[in-house]
Amino acid sequence: MRAYGYFIKMRVLTALAYRFEVWIGMVGDIIMLAASVYIWKAAYGNGVVGSGGFDVGLQNMITYTVISVLLASVFQTGVQNTIYTQVREGNIALDFMRPLPLLGIYLSDDIGSMVSALVNKAIPLIVAAVLLFGFPLPAGAGAFAGFLVSSLFSFVILWLMSAMVGMVAFWVAELGNLGMVKDAVVRVLSGSLVPLWFFPDAVQNVSEWLPFQYTYQTPIGIYIGVTTAGDAVRAICIQGIWVIILGLLLAWIWKHARSKVMVQGG
Amino acid sequence: MNEVRHYVTVFGYYAKLAIQRQLEYPLFLVSWLLMIPTQYFTGIWMLKIIVDRFQPLSGWGFHDLAFLYGLGLLSHGLVVVFFIPTWGTEFAVLRGEFDRLLLRPMNVFFQFVTGYFNFIGLIDLIPGVVIFIYAANLVGFDWGIGNLLKLALVVIGGTLIRASLYTIIGAVAFWTKRSRNLIFMAVATMERTTMYPLTLYPQAIQAVLTFLLPIGFISFYPAEQFLDKSTSLELPLGLAIWTPVVGLIFFALAYAVFRFGLQKYESAGS
Amino acid sequence: MAIIEVKDLVKEFVVVRKKTGLGGAVKSLFWPEKEIVRGVDGLSFDIEQGDIVGYIGPNGAGKSTTIKMLTGILHPTEGEIRVCGMSPQKERKAVVRQLGVVFGQRTQLYWDLRLGETFELLKRIYRIEDKRFRETMDILNGVLRIQDFIDTPVRQLSLGQRMRGDLAAAMIHDPTVLFLDEPTIGLDADAKHAIREFILTMNRERRMTVVLTTHDLDDVELLCSQLLVVNHGKLVEDGPLDAIVNKLSPHRLLMIELNHSAALPDHDRARIIRQDGLKVWYQFDKSAITASELIADLSGKLPIRDLSVQEPDIEDAIREVYRTTA
Repeated sequence: MRAYGYFIKMRVLTALAYRFEVWIGMVGDIIMLAASVYIWKAAYGNGVVGSGGFDVGLQNMITYTVISVLLASVFQTGVQNTIYTQVREGNIALDFMRPLPLLGIYLSDDIGSMVSALVNKAIPLIVAAVLLFGFPLPAGAGAFAGFLVSSLFSFVILWLMSAMVGMVAFWVAELGNLGMVKDAVVRVLSGSLVPLWFFPDAVQNVSEWLPFQYTYQTPIGIYIGVTTAGDAVRAICIQGIWVIILGLLLAWIWKHARSKVMVQGG
Repeated sequence: MNEVRHYVTVFGYYAKLAIQRQLEYPLFLVSWLLMIPTQYFTGIWMLKIIVDRFQPLSGWGFHDLAFLYGLGLLSHGLVVVFFIPTWGTEFAVLRGEFDRLLLRPMNVFFQFVTGYFNFIGLIDLIPGVVIFIYAANLVGFDWGIGNLLKLALVVIGGTLIRASLYTIIGAVAFWTKRSRNLIFMAVATMERTTMYPLTLYPQAIQAVLTFLLPIGFISFYPAEQFLDKSTSLELPLGLAIWTPVVGLIFFALAYAVFRFGLQKYESAGS
Repeated sequence: MAIIEVKDLVKEFVVVRKKTGLGGAVKSLFWPEKEIVRGVDGLSFDIEQGDIVGYIGPNGAGKSTTIKMLTGILHPTEGEIRVCGMSPQKERKAVVRQLGVVFGQRTQLYWDLRLGETFELLKRIYRIEDKRFRETMDILNGVLRIQDFIDTPVRQLSLGQRMRGDLAAAMIHDPTVLFLDEPTIGLDADAKHAIREFILTMNRERRMTVVLTTHDLDDVELLCSQLLVVNHGKLVEDGPLDAIVNKLSPHRLLMIELNHSAALPDHDRARIIRQDGLKVWYQFDKSAITASELIADLSGKLPIRDLSVQEPDIEDAIREVYRTTA
């Protein structure tokens, strides 16, 4: 465990070392946040409320957006690129020689990035959001607790998907930016930009059977109280099921990737 | 004239080499072909969902929004084809790639920008052209010669404004060694300010995006004019004149900043 | 007239000091600590047309920085540079047309493409006419034998082939001055030989001036007529190679092998420094006595079977310079 702790600490240190990057990252997040909030303000503006306005009010929608940007800035899934780069540059065989399970190292790398993101991204974002749009309050203490639990599952689901996409590199090294395709799909179907309850019914029905909406929409829905306590428990259980399914799938792919490297020597 | 022919010849050969290099990795192309259209078609879809569920955004219905979105994407696509190296100024600085360019008897900015003709970037133009034509027909765009000429001037001017902004931001790396995140931020911000109506944002921000950074000229003000909306910026003559003029001025400024930064270039290693 | 003139050249760099630990990282976030370092510190020298000049010094002495200023890549903090009578910074395009430059650690060849494509590109950049281009390629080919791999993608070339390709690329526009930064680094004996032959041929046939930095003292010995030695950004030696070596280690060794053991005579201008069986080494100062005088003196007194005069080791001489200026 100490070894993983070291990886986490190193990652925090390197992230802080890029001073300029840190400041810019903050400003970028705040701009994107503001841009999204203004779109919602226009959508809800002038007291003319479309059918969408009945589901959730403007203040809640702003909170939804703030929390979504916050989660996006904290969730770090560098594993996708790490595996891709290591495979492409032929370092993966060496990585396998390390005495610790490789995925564990990659995970602690990402957790380290999350810790530093909490300090240098999440906190300034919250401060900016409070100043610009008021405090994004949760619906209640229970909702907040549910949100924390659910966010944890969200991160695990996102991380597992990223690791899987990264592993495509073991078979097709050139398909490096497949990860960006996945990211584009996740952005939409996770409800991180527009909650899925605004989508056409057909899309919503399909989406329930996909893992994506359980990454952003589920925890944020719980936070703003759109998801009731009973539904929240059910949603978190579904998240748990997805973690198990994706985890098993990843383990299976990893096993094959590993034996592939061992045969070819990377 | 001789000089111009020289630069055109070299540009032609650079482009040939770049296309050859990009075709060396065909699967890479396939993944872009999946990625870029997904990104932009879902983007416009999000707008449609919002408008359907709520109301036109500060007076812009879905047809108008799609027109603006498409118009913005056109100059975005051209920048991605012709000026993408500016996004990677940081890498060029860190790897000392300007060494090679400085050792050749040609303009360094020219070599830098044309050295990687981004053939793959044509993919960015696909959603742009599709969405623009689709929306132009929805809003009853007049496809007459005069309007097409105006459109061409606006798109070229918009491309220049974007290219200038990326050049300036990329050149920050000459001083700080880093500009990648700044570029990412600019790309994301550009999307939100050229493909969505500026009137969504507070007056102060509109002013900044008009007078400080002339982003409004790229697509928003021209779109207002094409769509015969009450214009939020009163100017004599049309935006078809103003956009390319602003583009040229801003481009000259960007070139000066790049030149200045190049003097601060420290090469790589010792 | 000197083809390269350098006067009081200075280059300063700003270095950011990183503090250690988590507290340090947070501190650097707000208050970075900066320091100015002089990479090149008051260099002055001239290089004459047609010379092959070795520009040597230990790692971090400022060699690459100087080369990059001479070729117009970097701007000096202070001082004056003239290459072919022009400033490489103010008249960059005119100056670089006269220059060929090879950085041994990097390549100007297109990694993914066949070698020939780079030459075709350079032909257009330098506006070389077809006929002239073919002639030059023929000449370069004769010495560097690049025809064998001109259709191979650069990424598949061996290091030696790549370096030959880079040299040819630097020569395609017939430069008057050739800068080589570590041209033989990491190469095998064959490739080193080919590259040295090439440099000598170009120097002899075209009176091409060559400035090369290297850590390989064989390069210095086999190629250079003049030497510039730098350390800590300052010039510590400047002159013909043999003069510098003589100055730094004026001693020669005379090795004598005897027929049978005999009493060894002393000599007032040479001393015995080593003895091993029937072999004996006399050390003498070249300015005090010539080798033939010494041999004549000793041949009467000793049963000499064989003898040889040993020149001082250039490597020792250079090491001496680095040590005394460190």
